[in-house]
Amino acid sequence: MEMQTFVSLGLILATFALYIAIAYFNRAKQTSEFYVASRGIPAFWNGMAIGGDWMSAASFIGMAGTLMALGYDGLAYIMGWTGGYLLLTFLLAPQLRKYGRFTVPEFIGDRFDSNTARLISAIATIIISFTYVIGQLSGSGVVIGRLFSIPAAYGTIIGVVIIAVYASLGGMKGVTWTQVAQYLILIIAYIVPIVFMSLQITGNPLPWLTYGNVVNEIGALDRELGFTEYFAPFSESDRSQFIALMFTLMVGTAALPHVIVRFYTVTTMKAARWSGAWALMFIGFLYLSAPAYAAFSRFILMTEVAGQPIDQLPSWTTNWVDTGLLEIADTNGDGILDWSEIAVGNDMVVMATPEIANLGMFVIGLVAAGAMAAALSTAGGLLITISSSFAHDIYYRLMNPTATDKKRLNAGRIAIVASTIVAGIIALDPPGVITQIVAWAFGLAGGTFFPVLFLGVWWKRMNKQGAIAGMLVGLATTLTYIFLALGGITFLGIQDTGAGIIAVPVNFLTCIIVTLLTPAPAQHLQDDVVDLRYPEQMTYKNGEVWMNDGTEEDK
Amino acid sequence: MKKVEKKVADAYFKTRTTMIAIFLFIGFLVSFGIVFFAEFFSQFTFLGVQFHYYMASQGAVIVFILLLFLNAILNDRVDKKYGIDNDENVRISGGKTVDH
Repeated sequence: MEMQTFVSLGLILATFALYIAIAYFNRAKQTSEFYVASRGIPAFWNGMAIGGDWMSAASFIGMAGTLMALGYDGLAYIMGWTGGYLLLTFLLAPQLRKYGRFTVPEFIGDRFDSNTARLISAIATIIISFTYVIGQLSGSGVVIGRLFSIPAAYGTIIGVVIIAVYASLGGMKGVTWTQVAQYLILIIAYIVPIVFMSLQITGNPLPWLTYGNVVNEIGALDRELGFTEYFAPFSESDRSQFIALMFTLMVGTAALPHVIVRFYTVTTMKAARWSGAWALMFIGFLYLSAPAYAAFSRFILMTEVAGQPIDQLPSWTTNWVDTGLLEIADTNGDGILDWSEIAVGNDMVVMATPEIANLGMFVIGLVAAGAMAAALSTAGGLLITISSSFAHDIYYRLMNPTATDKKRLNAGRIAIVASTIVAGIIALDPPGVITQIVAWAFGLAGGTFFPVLFLGVWWKRMNKQGAIAGMLVGLATTLTYIFLALGGITFLGIQDTGAGIIAVPVNFLTCIIVTLLTPAPAQHLQDDVVDLRYPEQMTYKNGEVWMNDGTEEDK
Repeated sequence: MKKVEKKVADAYFKTRTTMIAIFLFIGFLVSFGIVFFAEFFSQFTFLGVQFHYYMASQGAVIVFILLLFLNAILNDRVDKKYGIDNDENVRISGGKTVDH
């Protein structure tokens, strides 16, 4: 264990040094670098940064475990979190890029020409991102805590300091390139163990092709033991909850401010489309691997750990029992540990499997560094978003429009440091289960923003009254449903994590009805929306479309 | 500056919107469509796995990725057909964004 701690610590420190170095060499000197990396990030690298930004501690640490526990029903997460990129790239990203602002609240404020809408969306952005960042910080705390057998709280503090340093130093420009590095580290750390496990179990190094057979064998073992089969549909939840959760995650993905802002960092609408495609490919590498991770892990537990005499269990079991994530008890007293006597916590699957499969110290350390990369990259993106909502939308656009560049950069940095500290303090004692909080953040993002952004870029008649009413009603509906569902009152079996399927249609209806009952927005605002139909080279002006062919400018 | 006929401009927008609608519909079928009839699809197998499980764990994600690349490639073709020069886009976009 001594040696293992040393190797893991070494790998984590090496990656931290890399991130800080990248942030230092790409540090932001102007506001546009700080918020949108001067809009010069190539689509391929932006796609990779989106991958790092997007895949959080929940994806890296939690997803395989969720799939292992829920079987087919857990796959709602896979389809929901990837399908959101269709909505985002097809319906929102290119238009939002052409509109050319710094943040989501700034788009909403300028599109609807309303400071009330700006303030509401800035506050909603801060709430959503803040909820999410708490999850990341407690995630990194758990990783560090478990590795070094220190309380998770110290781990959280270490994570907080690292994130605050490089996010405030580099701004969006630094964060973009650290996210690229973090993506590479986390994806290698995720795939290496399953390639080894695939070799170990099936003799074939390509887990994506081999795990189908493993799933079938697990199904056979389940039948033998008299459990519901691993891949049977809706054994852990029901169809309506599956669909509601998948819908909520998709719409939430498309409306998360920290993801949308990454599309502002590229040059054109075309680059936004390519960013979306590259992003989902890079994300797909991990998401396509997660079911394999879950299957191999379950297979190894069922065949190599279950059925062993209780007094001859491998040494890793004690370590994980100590963390409270693993429970084993010989309840029927036959001296043999049966499969039904093992309770595996979702969050230990990814972290523990390399140990269980005996993949060696380096791989175990690599997985720890990968988990940290996943938590830090998402936290970095979230902090930039919180900082820009405060320093740009609230401080600069609403409070002090004459602030100098330097003042605004400092306000942004102060906002990052302050929100990191506050989030860190809350993360020391998390208010609930991390995956559940993350799912609420998706419900809130989708329920508050998706209809307003969608109608904002596609429907020129949409006005500020509709936007304000839609956001407020959407936010209220999401919160109400979450609390009702937690209290046991559900509609069609939809639980709190599926609140988006209720809130999004309500928000849409509110936007449309209120807009139609109130006057149309000013002509120039409507023209701006029509202009979003065409690429940058075409401009919509006074009811006519003009092609900029480089000849004389039209006055 | 050259004026673009309303018909041409509308056709550009319509082509893009139609593509998006078709892609979203395909995306909807492979995810929500299969989930809705999961029990029915579970009688088929693909690559040794029951079809509803395969689609949810890999098939849908692969289709999503292909749709996004198809959208990016086809959109570039449409742009080319309408005489859009991407270098111009980059230049204009740089000047027009609000970088305050």
